[in-house]
Amino acid sequence: MNGVLIVWEQRQLFVNGLLNTISLVTVAAAVAILFGALFAVPLVNGGKVARRAGRGVVDFFRSVPFLLLAYIVYYGLPTVGLRLPAWWAGLLTLILYNSAYMAEIFRSAWLNLPQEQTETGRAFGFAGMGLYRWIIFPQVALASAPVVGNQLIIMIKDTAFLMIITVPEITFAANFVNANYFVPFAPFALAVLLYWGLCVLVELGVHRVGAAAAARRHA
Amino acid sequence: MREAEVSAISVRGLSKVYGQLEVLRNVAFDVAAGTTVCVLGPSGSGKSTLLRCINWLEEPTTGAIFLHGEPVGYLNSDDGGRVRMTERQLASMRSRMGMVFQHFNLWPHLTVLGNVSEAPIRVQKRPRSEVEAEARALLQRMGLAEKAEVFPHVLSGGQKQRVAIARALAIKPQVLLFDEPTSALDPEIVGDILSVMRGLSAEGLTMVVVTHEMSFAREAADRIIFLDEGRVTETAAPGDFFANPRTERAKRFLARYGADMSNRGAA
Amino acid sequence: MSLAALLTIVTGAAVTALLSLSGIVIGVPLGLLLALVRWARLSFLNAFVTVFVSLVRSTPIVTLVLFVFFVLPTLGLEVDPVPAAVATLAVNTSAFNCEIWRGALMDFPREQRDAARAFGMTRAMTFWRIVFPQVWRRSLPALVNEMTTLLKATPAVAVIGIVEVTRAASRIGAATYDPLPPFAVATVLYTLVVLIFVQGQRRVERHMAIKYGYQT
Repeated sequence: MNGVLIVWEQRQLFVNGLLNTISLVTVAAAVAILFGALFAVPLVNGGKVARRAGRGVVDFFRSVPFLLLAYIVYYGLPTVGLRLPAWWAGLLTLILYNSAYMAEIFRSAWLNLPQEQTETGRAFGFAGMGLYRWIIFPQVALASAPVVGNQLIIMIKDTAFLMIITVPEITFAANFVNANYFVPFAPFALAVLLYWGLCVLVELGVHRVGAAAAARRHA
Repeated sequence: MREAEVSAISVRGLSKVYGQLEVLRNVAFDVAAGTTVCVLGPSGSGKSTLLRCINWLEEPTTGAIFLHGEPVGYLNSDDGGRVRMTERQLASMRSRMGMVFQHFNLWPHLTVLGNVSEAPIRVQKRPRSEVEAEARALLQRMGLAEKAEVFPHVLSGGQKQRVAIARALAIKPQVLLFDEPTSALDPEIVGDILSVMRGLSAEGLTMVVVTHEMSFAREAADRIIFLDEGRVTETAAPGDFFANPRTERAKRFLARYGADMSNRGAA
Repeated sequence: MSLAALLTIVTGAAVTALLSLSGIVIGVPLGLLLALVRWARLSFLNAFVTVFVSLVRSTPIVTLVLFVFFVLPTLGLEVDPVPAAVATLAVNTSAFNCEIWRGALMDFPREQRDAARAFGMTRAMTFWRIVFPQVWRRSLPALVNEMTTLLKATPAVAVIGIVEVTRAASRIGAATYDPLPPFAVATVLYTLVVLIFVQGQRRVERHMAIKYGYQT
């Protein structure tokens, strides 16, 4: 099969593409989770103004189309002095976009926590930063694992938009091979399989965490 | 069989097997028209399954069910064999039997009036104005006239069951099947439903009632069928059954549940 | 920014929204069809639908639209960009909708179907009078959520040359050497469209909870 041979010859492109996709998602996820956790605190415990403003910001980022945000970061920011290479522009877009989503996910999980464990923590003298770090956030993390996993899958798929701002990820590689060798099926089929594989891996990971969380809940 | 002697319900050789488990074994009995039969027995004896086989909600493994002499589920073919009923034919038989469930099973997206009117309008194809007028009258009888336009989720358990009874009556059934109608209700409400059921029984409706309420069985039933591990071990008039149970299992059963009666007093 | 430029962006936004809506109108019933195939457990079709839904749900819309646009012609089907875009959006959203419908169908309480059968309703009548009226109401919040997601992802069709909102803004920016204003306007405009959808969704959820007592 012509297409398969050409894809094999061009495998370096796909390997690079896969590595870019994975690296973008991994770094962006780590940073977005951190920012989301930090931002969730004022969303839950802040004063009325802070909470309202916070929700406004979160709602904005959840309503903006990802591609438009990527365009603004890559093509728009240079006009105010910030010129980023494509990969970094993609990373920044992913971080901005997903920090808002993570903040909302954590806020929601936090508000739905059963009170007993937090009260027990307080009874044992945990307060302030310590209470968050040792009592609240571990619970929030376990409770929100499936939704975070879902968001990771969305992130993996959103990286494909970045090909439009010239980031050499998986879809970029497939499109390049097709555009230059006119063999559409093999490269795009490979791209579909690669995304499918990544999503399956994330779902397996989430399943593991979910099982651990369920086991813990019966303690 | 002469016309006058045809039972409202006849069950012959009914067996039901789930995989390895024999839930009903060779059950046979008749329900005479206008009478009330109570099916009693320990948990797991197959009472609900028996009731659900009568209207083929569960398909019998072997055996035959007759509604006023007409077979349910199978038709007799000309060469003496049996052929399964089509879905439409089975639905038609079912629409002649009303059923009241333990958990009411009302349809939440329809109002109370909608629940009661749905089957007469859609299944029996009767005109809406006529059906709704009758439905309102039935609700009035159940003391729920002012609830006609509400949705079931705001009602209490007792109210829901009364709507369910109205729904079953609305199709003018030849037979009413009750599957533990009071088991999901608060004790104070049980009495209300039982008195509604006693009223229906006194009016001469043919009823088959699966229940744990011994007071009802004693006062309203014309016959008791005692089901144990899937077998009919005793059938008798209530007076005979409660005073002189013939089998060991029945005696033990009554010893356990008989305490119910002295605690409840006259219900 | 000139009026003509603004109009170009508005047109682009309208094109995007229209493409989205077309995808939704086809994708919602198509998703129901797929869900019914799985619910009815027709063995061969069941496996096909399961694999199909799994693959489509993991594929980004950008990749899917490129696949549809370039692979279909090799099978003899000539496709213009707009039909290819609508078909892709429809297929993509149908896969997600399939899971939404399927969840509601699987969760549907057996007791209500028992009651329907006991009163003489055929399977078809039970589905249309009892199951479907509740299933679509229960699924509505999730379905509208998916519509919002589709609305936000539709700009992906720019990649096969359709002049939707991002391309429109891009053109203006290229012509004026000043990309930030058109992108900013496009963002604000399109985000407003999405926000309207989201508000609608919240209203729907509240209405369902109050009228029918559903917890969503």
